[in-house]
Amino acid sequence: MGNCFEKMGNAIKTSSYKVKLSALFMGSGQILYGSVAKGLLFLAVEVAFILYLVRRGIDDLTGFFTLGTNKADAWLGTVGDNSVVMLLMGIFAWIVIAGFISLYILNLKDVYGIEEQVKNGKRPKTFLQELQELLDSKFYITVLILPVIGICVFNILPIIFMILISFTNYGGSIVPPELVDWVGLDNFRKIFTLSKFAPTFGRILGWNILWAFASTTLNYFAGLGLALLLNKDCVKGKAFWRAFPVLAYAIPGFITLLAFKFMFSYGGPINQIIRANGGVAIGFLDLDAKWSARVIGLLVNCWISVPSIMLLATGHLSNRDMSLYEAARIDGATAFQQFKKLTLPFMLFATMPVLLGQFIGNFNNFGIFYFLRGRLYLDGYFLASDTDLLINWLYNLSIDNNYYCIGAAISLIIFAITSIISLAVYVNSPSFKEEDTFQ
Amino acid sequence: MRRKLAMMLICAISVSAFSGCGKSEATEDKGDATATENTIFSGELEENVTIQVLENDTAISKGYFQQLIDAFNKEYEQYGITAVDANMDQYLDLANDGPYGYGPDVLYQANDVIMQYAQGKHILPLPVEKLECYSQVPKSAWQAYQVDIDGQTYTCGVPVNVQCPMLYYRRDLLPEDWKDNWDKDSNDVPDMVENWNDMYAFSVDRHNENGDTYGYMKSLYDVYFSSGFLFSYGGYIFGDNNTNPEDIGFSAGDSAKGAWVLSQLASTMNEDCIDDTITTNAYSKLADGTYFATMSTPDTYTTFFDELVNEYEADGLSEEEARAKAEENLVMTGIPKLPESGDLKEENPKLIDSKAMGGVNGYAISSYTKSPNACLAFVDFATKYDMIMLRNETLGISPAREDVSNEIGGLSESIYEKLEKGNIVLMPSIKEVAQIWTPGQTFFTDIAKDAFRSDSEKKYKDIDSMRAGLEEMCQQIHDAIFTLE
Repeated sequence: MGNCFEKMGNAIKTSSYKVKLSALFMGSGQILYGSVAKGLLFLAVEVAFILYLVRRGIDDLTGFFTLGTNKADAWLGTVGDNSVVMLLMGIFAWIVIAGFISLYILNLKDVYGIEEQVKNGKRPKTFLQELQELLDSKFYITVLILPVIGICVFNILPIIFMILISFTNYGGSIVPPELVDWVGLDNFRKIFTLSKFAPTFGRILGWNILWAFASTTLNYFAGLGLALLLNKDCVKGKAFWRAFPVLAYAIPGFITLLAFKFMFSYGGPINQIIRANGGVAIGFLDLDAKWSARVIGLLVNCWISVPSIMLLATGHLSNRDMSLYEAARIDGATAFQQFKKLTLPFMLFATMPVLLGQFIGNFNNFGIFYFLRGRLYLDGYFLASDTDLLINWLYNLSIDNNYYCIGAAISLIIFAITSIISLAVYVNSPSFKEEDTFQ
Repeated sequence: MRRKLAMMLICAISVSAFSGCGKSEATEDKGDATATENTIFSGELEENVTIQVLENDTAISKGYFQQLIDAFNKEYEQYGITAVDANMDQYLDLANDGPYGYGPDVLYQANDVIMQYAQGKHILPLPVEKLECYSQVPKSAWQAYQVDIDGQTYTCGVPVNVQCPMLYYRRDLLPEDWKDNWDKDSNDVPDMVENWNDMYAFSVDRHNENGDTYGYMKSLYDVYFSSGFLFSYGGYIFGDNNTNPEDIGFSAGDSAKGAWVLSQLASTMNEDCIDDTITTNAYSKLADGTYFATMSTPDTYTTFFDELVNEYEADGLSEEEARAKAEENLVMTGIPKLPESGDLKEENPKLIDSKAMGGVNGYAISSYTKSPNACLAFVDFATKYDMIMLRNETLGISPAREDVSNEIGGLSESIYEKLEKGNIVLMPSIKEVAQIWTPGQTFFTDIAKDAFRSDSEKKYKDIDSMRAGLEEMCQQIHDAIFTLE
């Protein structure tokens, strides 16, 4: 990066006054070289940027640092400052600045390129030619420009916003019209040091990691097993049997979860059967049901997720090289050995990215325990229960209790954990290491 | 061709993506806070304006709201003021949407929902003394809409109706000899609906006679219905008349006796009282006779009634006969009295009034309205005698107005009396009330569950352990409010 700026600096130093002028007034060099339209466009960008800065950009940048100084009062008609909007607009201002810097560099590169062309006795391209290039050899730029802007505004901005919220005191009683302040790492310190908070975080994190690994493994192998089973030649009416898991997949997840919650409730059909046979009703999901609720969560998640894995695996299994199996059978390999040495490596190779996606999805699986066993705060947990995952706890804190800043800090920690695990697994996976094994 | 199309699409998306961006609109300066009410509500009606009213869903679906706005619009036609349905979700976010010009001008909601907007000044302080209904509404109902800001007390809502738990029971499921054996005071009211001791005894008897039937049944986890048992023995939600969240009082006084009453009642039920099973099936189970009694709010009467009519029709009665029979047999009444000792097995106990958690629904005006005086005129009109009477006739509400309550008599009057006497504990109007539900729900679930644990596993073996449980619950609420402040 530094090298790039050094090169650019040298280029400007050694170039003519036209390039130097472009460094001051964007597009002026291009105009002097005869590329008037393009020059005017660059100039318009600079003018628009200055206008933006004057009209609101500077205010937005100031607001980004201060997060507001005047408290709103709706009764007095005082509009005041909305810290959250100011933070958002401040981030937007930084994105605009980054965009302007990119165009500024592009302007310098462009005028320098024109100068080089002129030095070599070539005519600079006309504006029409450049436009045609944008519809031909550089069509990718035309197509990608809007998605890039969209990603900046609709993806990057909210992510940065969420990250920055974790460094403020936004939440609790400090919500607009109250003014929000920057608090540095205070929220992270609270998570790890508050006597109420730290033990809960540790317990939930431990269960969350166990849950993510257990559910991903169970779902994957159950889905793969089902796909292998329905792939067997001896199975008649494969399409018919495959339809059942797909039906389960087609029903919205939360409806399935509420149905299971009812099934396992005290008045549900399972307990009715138990009572009808002279037994005592079992609290499968009540406040004493730590492990039974966890296991039910695992199995219900399996019910919801297995069909998609089965469909994925069915597709991949049809791409296997069956001659390898033929050879293995001749060599006397058992069915399990064939699975272990041929099917599993192939499937892991083919589905590792999906498997990671499943892992992340399960790690942040909000719905399962929210719908099965929500609204419980148990002893030894702060605003959480023993089946809550970090994402559920985050919800309890940020939605039920308005601690947005703490919620954002936990989100960052979740992001760090999941990205580290995902990267570590992916980098060590055959999909990454042995990319050409099955190609 | 494709590229031209792609270009056109890109242009179209660009235009749409960047349209609608802009700063929020500033409202004009309205003056000094101390004279807020008089400044905003000058009494001069804004003419030729449309005010958006967010009403209760039931009021809309049953046609009351249409009658209300038709009557109002006719009355204020000369000023060009028109009230319309805001047509928005009841659970709006006025704090975030209001400043940007979204949201209703007038909203109807429960006091705890409305008052969460008061601290941030998202709803206006009202000159309630100027309203026609002012002298007819009890002080306690007005207090539910009061907020202290900068050392001054403001009233930000106008009470319309009172919500509180009621006992529902089936008259035709009473024992044939109830007048001889279950009416000790010979007042023609069955003892089991007058006091919990007899309800407990009757529940035990009924279940012993037939293992498939029960007496009183209710999901006990529900804080709204169960906390009244704590209040009856000296418990409260927040101190200083529900304004001080530092003082959490669920374990205050002898409230542990209330927890004991709940655990005794749980022992006459089945495990369905631990989760929401009874909440879900109470309508059908009361109708088919499995349950003798349950607790619910007045607005669910029609659901119980319809279910009972269906049951009678299934038994072969015509619709008319079924409705008449249901009307006769489905009874909604006040909550039974409690024994002072908390012991439901006590013979001839000294009885005390039951208290219950309740709420007051009413109107508020958004701070972001452009027509505050027209909105106040609407609120004044909607809370007048005639409209509240019509509201009661159409929706069966318990009015907060004394004159309407007296006119109707019956339950409405008794609810009004309870409110006056302080036997309806109104939900606090401070935002911290949001933190009481989950800890409360967990404790009440635990109390209910305890009735079904083996003796060795029981958590709440005596009053002291129940008091400790309540203290733990208060601590949880306190932590939820203050740990991260």
